[in-house]
Formats: sequence, C-alpha cells, structure tokens
Amino acid sequence: MKRAVPVVVLSIAGLVPVWRYEPSAGAPASTAAPATAPSASASSGTSSGASPGTVVKGTTIPTDKGPVQVQVTFDGDRITAVRMLQQPNHPQTTAAVPKLVAETLKAQSADIDTVSGATITSDAYKESLQAAIDVRG
Amino acid sequence: MHRVEHVMGFPVSLRVDDEDVPEQAADAVFAWLREVDARFSPYRPDSEVCRYDRGELQRHELSDDLVEVLDLCEHYRRATGGAFDARLPGRGLDPNAVVKGWSVQRAADLLRAAGARRFVLNAGGDVVAAGGPWRVGVRHPEHADKLCTVLELTDGAVATSARYERGDHIVDGRTGRPATGLLSLTVVASSLTEADSVATAAFAMGAEGIGWAASLPGCEVFAVDAGGQVLRTEGFPVAREDPAPG
Repeated sequence: MKRAVPVVVLSIAGLVPVWRYEPSAGAPASTAAPATAPSASASSGTSSGASPGTVVKGTTIPTDKGPVQVQVTFDGDRITAVRMLQQPNHPQTTAAVPKLVAETLKAQSADIDTVSGATITSDAYKESLQAAIDVRG
Repeated sequence: MHRVEHVMGFPVSLRVDDEDVPEQAADAVFAWLREVDARFSPYRPDSEVCRYDRGELQRHELSDDLVEVLDLCEHYRRATGGAFDARLPGRGLDPNAVVKGWSVQRAADLLRAAGARRFVLNAGGDVVAAGGPWRVGVRHPEHADKLCTVLELTDGAVATSARYERGDHIVDGRTGRPATGLLSLTVVASSLTEADSVATAAFAMGAEGIGWAASLPGCEVFAVDAGGQVLRTEGFPVAREDPAPG
C-alpha cells in the first residue's frame, strides 16, 4: 500500500478550523514536509508525518477570541477524528468540526439521470453529457 | 415530460415523471426563468439590477425579490471574509452567482405547487431533484465526457463550481484575482439557493473554502483541489457502484 504523508495546515478563518493535506508519496513517514499556509492572513501551520492511526496535534493559534488548537487523527489518508484541544469560550467554535475524506481523483462513466457541473453555456451544450441524456429522453 | 430550453445563456433541462402534471407547469418554469433574466441580468441595461446600479432606483424602491437576492449576496460576502462579492472593484453590480440558484429553486417550488412529485430540473449544471432516488453525475474537471463521482439524491439540490468551461471566471474578492486554489467544488444541500451560493463562495475562497463549506450545517461537499486530490465530507451521498435495476 502506498504510504501517504499528510501535511496538516490549520488556518483560522472566521474561527472555523480548516485543514488540507498534501500526500507526498514516497517520502518517509518520519520526514516532516514544510507547511504552507493557503493564505498569509491570520494563518498558522504545522506539519507532521502520519501513519495509520496517527494523531496530529495542530499548533496553538492565537485568535482575537482566544487560543485554538485542533487535533486530527488519521487512518492512512483518512481523517478519522477531529477534536478541539483548546477553544475559546465562544459558541461558534464549539460547533462540530467536519470530517473530510481524502480520495484519488477518478474518471468514470456511469448510468446517470443528470449531470452537475460548472455553468455550461448553450454553445457547449451540444457536446455535453447532459445533451446525450436529454436526447435519450 | 422532458423539455429543454435555453434561458440566460445556458440550457435548462426539465424532466417530470408525474403523468398528471400538465405542460403548462413546465411553461410556467421557463416563463419565470425568462422573467428573472429580464429583471436581474447585469447585461441588460433596462434590468432592475442595472437601473439600481446606475442610481435610477433607490434601495426602498427595489422589488422584494431583488432585496432578498442582495441580502443573500451580503450574507455570503461577510461569511467568506469578502472572497465572495457581487460588487467587484471596477465592475458593475453582478448578483448572478446568487440569482441562478435562487431562481432555479423558485422554479422547482413552482413545479411542486403544480403537483409535480418526481422531477429533476437541471439549469446549466445546477440541479434540483425531487421524489428520487436520482443518480446525479458530477462532471470530471479535466475530462468533459467523464464523471468524477456519482451521487444519489432523493430530494435536494446539487451545484458545482469549477474552472473548466469559462476558464478562470470566479474572482476572489479579497485579491481581485481569479480563484485558482480548486479545480472543482460540488455542494449538496436541501435548496439550490444554498447549494449554488455556497459552491461559488467556497470556490472563490480556494482550498480553505472546502473546510468552510463543510462546516455549514446541511451542506455536503466534494472538492478537487489544484493538485487533483479529492476531499469530501463523510456524509456526501456517493451512489452505490451498481444501480438497482429500473
């Protein structure tokens, strides 16, 4: 099994903890990749190698409502738990933190009723999967 | 009943499976969408949006519908720290990102009021479905003829924001530059008003928009980041591999 090394970037945007991870295949699990925050504003990052069942503690991030620290548990690529270790006494931050599942992007064909996609123009419609569905009726 | 018409520059496909729903119900859907185009298009100088933008209408003179749309725009501007903005510098007022989902959801409500129970309405890639299960494919961001996932929906809405078709057309209002952090982001919610607004707003935010959208109650998210990695919420309703016959 390919071992992925998730990099956790915790950034505080409106007091909602946000994370992403960037698998770097082949890197040894003990090597911490440099963290890159998605934006420079009010962001702070930490990184750590992770293996199945690994618990990653985020750095404590000072916010104007108080310090925030998030702990993320991975099973391989998958986030299995997200827990607030520290949170300001503020109702917004006590909301459940969403769990995200990481997957490889697949290209598939399937029997479907309709297609969702970014706004398709009338010009592009003729070539689209939705047009094929509409013709089939 | 299965109809396709082109309104606001995009195709609108309507399928209604209830035999007892008259064609007039579909006529009303398309008439409403044409009305929305006339009233809210930023490209029609005589639209209410353009007249308001030029100062010919005051806020208290606006229709309840436009007030509702502008309130939604303001809500998402604040919620995204300005990444989503209907008033970008150097451009006219453009509430299209909210108008589309809001108006198509209203169209679906018209169908329900006319007695439709099992239907799917697809407006340029934004979907409202009722009385499912329906299988909704999400277009692959890099292959127009492929899907990146298939979800199953009984009653609800699906919207996708992505870069493929119109290039970099969603602007991050915080920087004034095209949003490039994601290839595609899909939101499932109970209404298209919410699904479409959240998908556009999260796409404008970039990578952090994934967590932002996922944290909203009732929103399920499937995102493809700029590196081709999929991140989705656990509750995203991925369809089973093999659909049941029929």
